[in-house]
Amino acid sequence: MVIAALLSAQAGYVLAEDQNDELNKLKQQLHELDQKVRILERNKELEVEAVAAKANTLPSVTLGAGGLSVSSADTNFLLNIRGYVQADSRVFVGGAEAVKGNDTFLLRRVRPIFTGTVWRNYEYRLMFDFASGVTSGTGNNGFLQDGYFNVHYWDEAQLQIGKMKEPVGLERLQSGANLLFIERGLPTQLLPNRDVGVQLHGKLWGNTLAYQIGYFNGVEDGGSGDIETTDDGKDVAARLFVQPFDRTNIDLLKKFGIGVAVTHGSHEGTLRNYVTAGQQTWFRWRTGAGASAATANVLADGDTDRISPQAWYYWGPFGAIAEYAISSHDVIRRAGATTTTRDSFDNHAWQIAASYFLTGEENSFNPVTPKRPFTLGGGGWGAWEIAGRIGQLEVDDDIFRDDDGNGAPDFATTASARKVREWGVGFNWHLNRNVKASVNYINTDFKGGSESKGEVTAQDEEGIFARIQFSF
Amino acid sequence: MRTNWKKLIGLAFIGLLPALTFAQKEVTLLNVSYDPTRELYQEINTAFAEHWKRDNAGQVVTIKQSHGGSGKQARSVIDGNEADVVTLALAYDIDAIAEHKIIPKDWQKRLPHNSTPYTSTIIFVVRKGNPKGIKDWEDLVKPNVKVIPANPKTSGGARWTYLAGYGAALKKHNGNEAKAKEYIAKFYRNAPVLDVGARGATITFIQRKIGDVLVSWENEALITLNDLGKGEYEIVYPSVSILAEPPVALVDKVVDKRGTRKVAEAYLNFLFTDTAQEIAAKHYYRPRNEAVAKKHAATFKPVQTFTIDELFGGWSKAQKTHFADGGVFDSIFKASR
Repeated sequence: MVIAALLSAQAGYVLAEDQNDELNKLKQQLHELDQKVRILERNKELEVEAVAAKANTLPSVTLGAGGLSVSSADTNFLLNIRGYVQADSRVFVGGAEAVKGNDTFLLRRVRPIFTGTVWRNYEYRLMFDFASGVTSGTGNNGFLQDGYFNVHYWDEAQLQIGKMKEPVGLERLQSGANLLFIERGLPTQLLPNRDVGVQLHGKLWGNTLAYQIGYFNGVEDGGSGDIETTDDGKDVAARLFVQPFDRTNIDLLKKFGIGVAVTHGSHEGTLRNYVTAGQQTWFRWRTGAGASAATANVLADGDTDRISPQAWYYWGPFGAIAEYAISSHDVIRRAGATTTTRDSFDNHAWQIAASYFLTGEENSFNPVTPKRPFTLGGGGWGAWEIAGRIGQLEVDDDIFRDDDGNGAPDFATTASARKVREWGVGFNWHLNRNVKASVNYINTDFKGGSESKGEVTAQDEEGIFARIQFSF
Repeated sequence: MRTNWKKLIGLAFIGLLPALTFAQKEVTLLNVSYDPTRELYQEINTAFAEHWKRDNAGQVVTIKQSHGGSGKQARSVIDGNEADVVTLALAYDIDAIAEHKIIPKDWQKRLPHNSTPYTSTIIFVVRKGNPKGIKDWEDLVKPNVKVIPANPKTSGGARWTYLAGYGAALKKHNGNEAKAKEYIAKFYRNAPVLDVGARGATITFIQRKIGDVLVSWENEALITLNDLGKGEYEIVYPSVSILAEPPVALVDKVVDKRGTRKVAEAYLNFLFTDTAQEIAAKHYYRPRNEAVAKKHAATFKPVQTFTIDELFGGWSKAQKTHFADGGVFDSIFKASR
């Protein structure tokens, strides 16, 4: 019995040992299977990472609010295609209604823009314009607004060559798509627009100091040019703009900038007339045949100098710009074979413009993105911006002297005014980053000029201007 | 009436100059480094910024970091990534940058210790209790052992690992190349996963719980032991390993372009100071400074090492023989799959 019990115990022990071995084998198999699954999963993860890494070596194409962009994998080659269209309405009210043919719809700007980079350090920009009234003339191909390349190895010193904005007017340097008002203020009319030349420019200490110095063909006040055909004189244009608090922690002053721009050159040829915000001419130089006092002709002939102190300030939803411009020209007046008069005139202009985002967006010299883009039936109403500005442009009194005693100004037409003052208010509705609707009321009053009914200067110009702008 | 232009322009520009005095000078450097040095340089950068500010009238310096596989990082610098300094895993990668004339060819002579402020070596991490009984390189090629190295084609640290194993086999077999190749082929046959970088291999071993032994930088191993999985792992020092010397260099073309030479040079020199050497030791890199090394002797177990020059004739030769397309690694890896 004892033997039987021992045998039974032995058998039980052997059985337990066998079961234990079996369990260990199963544990081992389970461990190996677990490792295989983990290895498969990890290798899958690595494959996904490898695919993602490979994708990084392929060119990327993106389409969004900033336009269509194509970039090589190493970002050394970039192309961005964008543009903007401005459909405007100009309606004149009050006494200005008497001027015929000034109420109109028009396409103010229709501009496709191509920008990019080749070989990392060579940037280019091509901007065309197919707006209403744009033409191609000998001196200026209006269809091509910008056409330049920029050698950009260092932020501190870059070289730009081609057709570009001369670095002078503050508001002129702001993109036409980002303007506070539908038309730029009065100082812009005394300062050059786009010109062909070469420009050294850069920024130091972040945005603390920006400088530009360029050598250009030279253009008349507010004008653009592609080629110099009337003289060999050239313009030097220089601008210095400082944001002294850019790198400080003084939020109140971080976006305060102040600067000055100048041009100097020598020119012959036509002088540009001046217009109101409604684009109606209120000052004209004499442009007759030059055969007599009655048909006197006035042209630029000698030095042209300009200076423009300027500043901007942005703090939260508030923003303001201010600029002053003095444009000085040596001119020649021909009024018959023996009657030639030379003189120099200084014309002055200034403006202060400010705006406030009722919807709280951060105001900026650059495009503003609404916090809550407008959606029909949705919660967003876009960004609402109210704006106001005042300004003045006064031409030199000596322009209106009558030395030859024929009852007409020697250098300007009889109908020309001597000074304009304007004030205006505006509302900009930024529906989203790409669509903006604007309406302005601008009142311009004239000192001097014709008071005949139907003439621009006979009454205050009261214009209601509206715009829908699509930019992409 | 004509304005007195010269006077007006002069006054206008002069009037702007005082505004410039508000400008705060600030400088930024970019350190392009390899995979596992994130934490090391975070601390060094903070220390250097304080040091620089103190000695340079409060000037603020900010050092940005970029990390990735050493070879890939070198490639990015060659392609135009504007690194002021590079702190890579191996001299070969900086040599590749030098070949593009971005830095001079004698870059390694410009700083002490061949421009290597710290060293490391290749060791093993095993799971608690060392269940596979791993003691030395020979144990890694046993049939039932799964080793976790990174991929030498993409990782600088993994090249050091490869050369450590290959060199140990050469030492054991008295320089017999055939035996060393046989060993390294078996080694990679036991590697079920090849991560692109050293940190990835650590993730595979620690987080994904794959394999029996992680073969990697000593600093990665010590992080694993002390920081990532305290009590769950053990370190095994092999009988012999390689002396890994991760170098640093100034990127001349970039610092001259950005005007950051002075601060970038100071940054690299700072790596050899007691402060930075202490930080290196804290992050488990072996300090060059003997006094600091002595202070941290308990952390770094003495290990017999060989150099790449001794057994492989330098990085250029090693690269060409072992890691170039069609090299030894390609042949053994292809055969093992």
